[in-house]
Amino acid sequence: MNPNVNGQLQRDWGWWIAVYLFLGGIGAGAYTIAAVNWYLGDTVSASTAVGLWIGFPALLIGSIFLLVDLGTPTRAVLAGMKPSTSWIARGFWIISVFMVLALLHLILYAFGSVGQTAGGRVILNLVAAAGIVCAVATMAYTGILLGASKGIPFWRTGAVPVVFVISALVTGHFTIMLIALFYPGVTAEAIQVMSLEAAALVVLEVLAILFFLQAAFKTPDPRESALRILRRRSFVIGYLILGLAVPFVAMLIVYRSTGMTQLDGRVVIVAAGALLGLAGGLILRQSILVCGALPTLNIAGFEFRRIARPKDPKPGIGQLPPR
Amino acid sequence: MTATAQNRIEEDVWIPTCCGQCYCMCGIKVRRQNGVITEIEGNPDAPAGRGGICVKGIASSHLLYDPYRVNYPLKRTNPEKGLGVDPKFVRISWDEALDIIVEKLTECRERDPRGAYFQATTTQASEIRFGVIGFMKGFGTPNYWVSGGGLHCGNGAHFMNGIMHVAWSIIPDFAHCNYALNFGCSKGHGAGHVAVQNATQAADARFRGFKNIVFDPFQSAQASKAHEWIPIRVGTDGAMALGLVNSLLNEHGIYDTEYLMYKTNGPYLIRPRDGRYMRDRETNKPLVWDLVDNCAKVHNDDSVTRVEYEDAAHEVALTGTYDIDGVECRPAFHLLKEHVKKYTPQYVEQVTGVPAATVSRIAKEFGEAAEIGSTVTIQTSKGPKRIPKRPVATHFFRGTQGHVNSGWTCLSVDMVNHIVGAADTYGSAMGLGAAVGSGYEGTGKPYQIPYPCPDGLLVAKTWVYDHVPYPMRVPKQPTRLDLHDMFPTSIYNAFVITSPRWEQILQRFKIPYKPDVMINFGSNSVMTMGNAEAVTENFLKKFNFIFSFQLYVTEFEEAVADIVLPDACFLERYTPAVSFPSTFSHPQGEDDWGWSIRQPVIEPLYERRDFNVVMLDICKRLGILGAYYKGLNNSIGIRYGGEMDEKYKLVEDGSVEHSWEDVCDRLLKDRFGEEHGLDHVRKRAVFTWPKNKEDVYWKWFNPSRVPIYFEYFIDSGEQISKLWDEYGGKDFFDIDWSRFKALADWYPCPSHTETSSEYDMFAFYWRAVMHCNSMTQQNPYLDECSQEDPYVYAVQIHKDTAADKDIADGDHVWLENPQGHRVKGWVALTDGIEPHHLAVAAVAGHWGSYMPIAKGKGTFFNDLVEMDLPHTDPLTFNQDICCRVKIYKAD
Amino acid sequence: MNQTQSLGTGQPSLLELSMPRYGMVIDLKRCYGCYACVMACKVKNHTPPGVFWSRILKGEAGTYPNVVRQALPVLCMQCDEPSCLEVCPTGATMKLDNGIVIVDKDKCMGCKYCMMACPYGARYSVDKWESYFPDGLPLSPYEEFAKRAWEEKSGVGVATKCDFCRDRIAEGRDPACVEACPAKARTFGDLDDPDSEVSILIKKYRGEVLNPEFGNKPKVYYLAPR
Repeated sequence: MNPNVNGQLQRDWGWWIAVYLFLGGIGAGAYTIAAVNWYLGDTVSASTAVGLWIGFPALLIGSIFLLVDLGTPTRAVLAGMKPSTSWIARGFWIISVFMVLALLHLILYAFGSVGQTAGGRVILNLVAAAGIVCAVATMAYTGILLGASKGIPFWRTGAVPVVFVISALVTGHFTIMLIALFYPGVTAEAIQVMSLEAAALVVLEVLAILFFLQAAFKTPDPRESALRILRRRSFVIGYLILGLAVPFVAMLIVYRSTGMTQLDGRVVIVAAGALLGLAGGLILRQSILVCGALPTLNIAGFEFRRIARPKDPKPGIGQLPPR
Repeated sequence: MTATAQNRIEEDVWIPTCCGQCYCMCGIKVRRQNGVITEIEGNPDAPAGRGGICVKGIASSHLLYDPYRVNYPLKRTNPEKGLGVDPKFVRISWDEALDIIVEKLTECRERDPRGAYFQATTTQASEIRFGVIGFMKGFGTPNYWVSGGGLHCGNGAHFMNGIMHVAWSIIPDFAHCNYALNFGCSKGHGAGHVAVQNATQAADARFRGFKNIVFDPFQSAQASKAHEWIPIRVGTDGAMALGLVNSLLNEHGIYDTEYLMYKTNGPYLIRPRDGRYMRDRETNKPLVWDLVDNCAKVHNDDSVTRVEYEDAAHEVALTGTYDIDGVECRPAFHLLKEHVKKYTPQYVEQVTGVPAATVSRIAKEFGEAAEIGSTVTIQTSKGPKRIPKRPVATHFFRGTQGHVNSGWTCLSVDMVNHIVGAADTYGSAMGLGAAVGSGYEGTGKPYQIPYPCPDGLLVAKTWVYDHVPYPMRVPKQPTRLDLHDMFPTSIYNAFVITSPRWEQILQRFKIPYKPDVMINFGSNSVMTMGNAEAVTENFLKKFNFIFSFQLYVTEFEEAVADIVLPDACFLERYTPAVSFPSTFSHPQGEDDWGWSIRQPVIEPLYERRDFNVVMLDICKRLGILGAYYKGLNNSIGIRYGGEMDEKYKLVEDGSVEHSWEDVCDRLLKDRFGEEHGLDHVRKRAVFTWPKNKEDVYWKWFNPSRVPIYFEYFIDSGEQISKLWDEYGGKDFFDIDWSRFKALADWYPCPSHTETSSEYDMFAFYWRAVMHCNSMTQQNPYLDECSQEDPYVYAVQIHKDTAADKDIADGDHVWLENPQGHRVKGWVALTDGIEPHHLAVAAVAGHWGSYMPIAKGKGTFFNDLVEMDLPHTDPLTFNQDICCRVKIYKAD
Repeated sequence: MNQTQSLGTGQPSLLELSMPRYGMVIDLKRCYGCYACVMACKVKNHTPPGVFWSRILKGEAGTYPNVVRQALPVLCMQCDEPSCLEVCPTGATMKLDNGIVIVDKDKCMGCKYCMMACPYGARYSVDKWESYFPDGLPLSPYEEFAKRAWEEKSGVGVATKCDFCRDRIAEGRDPACVEACPAKARTFGDLDDPDSEVSILIKKYRGEVLNPEFGNKPKVYYLAPR
């Protein structure tokens, strides 16, 4: 068969799902960072506060994108009917519970003086613990969900949940950083610490992506998709370069610079780095979705690939016969 | 969510009729729900199809309801004609349209009625046997052609198959054949006459182990199912066939002496000085040499005749030299045997690209599989009879015969059958449509038992045209605009009418009239013939007035039509006979005879009208109905198997006006009896009756012989060339009369002798299963399937060749021929094509404004087809449709 | 034996024993890729553009001149362990007792997870019904009928797929694709009946399924070209 012709890609999970994955990742990732910080004793810093504020809204808005993607959104209430076998049904419960917990945590933290009492702290700790569990589940389940699709070998390498969790933490962190820049009382040191954390998380993500790609290259069907994604300009430029490499450098510059003040121009570098990192996170998810190719079907020594050819007519053909 | 509207079904009926998407005429059942045609399936009652149906038939609802159909008469308001010209059609009423048409035809008749020229589609094969024939005879014009249909597929194949099998084409007896050589022929694999039936039979045959060896430049559908695919250079099948004949005769010594002695003109003694038969002085019959009595006898002397296999007769000489009145003569078979010696396996390899060892091997396999000498007993209407069993066949069709060597190629490929006696007997190559029929018991019609001419050779009893393929009619002084009265070997030609010097030619040949009015029924000759500009500028624009019955406004109407009439499609009309005329398209084999009709499943939509109904109306307005009826009465006999009884004939004095349904009814009653008229046949849309087995395997029940030595071509050639020279025809066309000879040869096409290395690719076209003629790309169902298929809209090229030329999969390319004509396409890389070939499918690459689904799909291959004499077979005037091209990237 | 859950006794119930387990056999030696099955399904079910419950893939193997092309008709495999059923969150996808997998269009929310999960690519969903004539012209009576038929039987915003022509089977007929095939390449019947044509063909000609490693236990078998 002609090696130049691409296998047919899935066409149905596109931008809406990518945005949900992106926002869901931000929400769960930011919440996780905030809740972990909480446990480590920090209940007041920008990181914690902003993270808690991001968690629920991001998930809520993300869920709207999920609903929009449905063919028949009015039946979304049925989405949780079969958690026994279906990861979407399970996800329905996971993100529902997570949103309740994140909202509860936020309300208790922001609007009550619950955190001031010992009993209140116990409750908040319990909520946070449960919240972290649900947040991690939220970050990971979409990767597992994709992996249950026998129809798309690219998603079944086992590496997708890893990539999604780490990317969620990265994008959550970048979102926290962006908003934290405007948080009253945030210090330059705090920003620099966050920059270091960001750089470390980016390194983790690079490792995760490498792991993901090498797993995809192992067998012919996912390799097809891996080649597609590496030839995809938005992935290489928008994600690998502008979404990982550039933010990594930006974060290091900021971390290593001295005498940074609140109104320093280097704040721009932080903001730019975080924004590019966020954009990259969205592009990553969209690329993984879009490059999912159907497997070849085999029988009797033949390999059948569902070929996607450019559709006719293209400009130029169909004119008068040339004279 | 609002409740969706539902279909509340009040009417739900299935109406039997006959499909008309191609000329196979499969029986179908059409579902009408609430007055809407919703589904189409095969009709198990019809022998043609037996419940099967192809992709095109099923897709017909979009043909019926296509919003781009012509629904009202249109008039051209832009007097300018030509490719790319906007015709500025306006809608007019039927009355106005018919008034204009009748006015133009009346003027034409006053000038010279022969100025009327009928152009028709081959798809509606039977419709044209009424509307066209009746008009031509009634009006008084001999001018007719079927554009691509006759010239790309017909002139060679039908003529030759008519001579050798009294049939339109040939097909293996799939039920019993074991080994077949398929020369680029998609019969049984999605196309060709009786396509669905053949597909079923071929699949059944494959299932039981039948081996099809396919010679084809690319992995066509038939090649993909073949036991062995043998890539062959396009247009060289004749050389391959003669190589096989040589190998059988001279290398392996395998041939069927009984068959050759008694069923061919192989034993006819040939006079050495001029290649004619030695004839008996008294009876003038050709002579054979009786080996028992050791003397010459006339060919049909009882002692040397075996009609049935179990008849006894003396053996006659096939080889040797015999003295007759001092003349040393040899049997024709001997001459053939010597003649083919030059087709050595090495020579064949050089010409075809097939390895010499393969030529030799295939010949041996074929010869051995023929089981010469074996017999089988069949149950005939007169009891059990023994006939030869020859379970091999060669077969061919459009691809093989679409070349400058068309006539001889067809005869050569078929000759392989006759060498081993595998013709019209059990398991062998059979005439298709069914060649022989004793008729329905009550009426004896349709009757088509062939008979021998005085020289003993096979003569068709029924045929699609007035003139049977053999005996050759005598060339006459031309009265036709294509001069074709002079050419008895075929039906029409293109090189005369598309010549830029057409007017001068007509003057020289003393044609006293000019092209005047063209009537078109369903053909798009701008696309289906050859180079579009040549057809339009040199031929079509010479007519004063053109009106067209069409389903769509095609490139033809856009370019040159003055009036377009909204034609009813096959779902909207009656046709009283579809699978006949004569031997056109009926399944081969022991299944019943079926006479199918077409009936409307819906009243014609909008202002569409049935072509035949309108032609009757026009003839009435012209006052020629009586002559029209007479023409039909006279032509029914040869076309539909027997003269009409007086009782059912149309009244010729014009005192009675017959409606179209009346015509249908009368024909049916005449064929099958008073109680089997239209009302009766309507119920199933097919009339069936059993076949006699001796009509299926008719060879050894019929006294006729077939030629392997074409002695009469010599006479024909001399007659034509003499007449040609009287007019000084050589000034226009130097026709190679040497092709009119007795022994087969292969001749190269211009694509084989092209010297420029710049044009290094052989381009040809192939038949895609979902397309027929030129309108199917407009059907969005069929277009969608075509887009799903990797090859149908593509130019196929070998992947290494493409790499050498720096062409990637999906690239847009130009194909350009040495005459400077070029067409555009996009490529699909493949391993399944001979590396110097390019394959394009269908009549595609539409550019017309009125068929937007078709527009731009595929490649317009025919623009590369030159219609001049060098690209025409001098023997049959078939078109050469292979060409050399160069391929390069388009921006 | 079929895999449906019984009453918990571990033995199939009498009702289940009497139910056929429908399957199909496609003979790749007979099939020459003519698209009749594709069109028969499309017209019978009035599927809109881009939806092919029955479709054909074309494959090519070998290098010139030892090349063969093969057509592969593909449809819903009506798997005994369908991935689509496993991933469906609402329970709209169900397997009937006769082995046919169906979508309850009133329960489906159109998440399209089943379309990702099916390794054979057998499922389709359209958000909006589209005409085959994309120029904004008024619909022909046929397309109006087809649109209503589609929305009634299958719908927009939901997953759709081949259902082995359940309505025809109920009338004792074969699915449309089976009846239309000119090469008689398709056979339909009860896989649990050892005397059925499908069982005999599978046994005699060693019928295989596509990609058994997916683990779905498809019920459409193929006879290799031989």
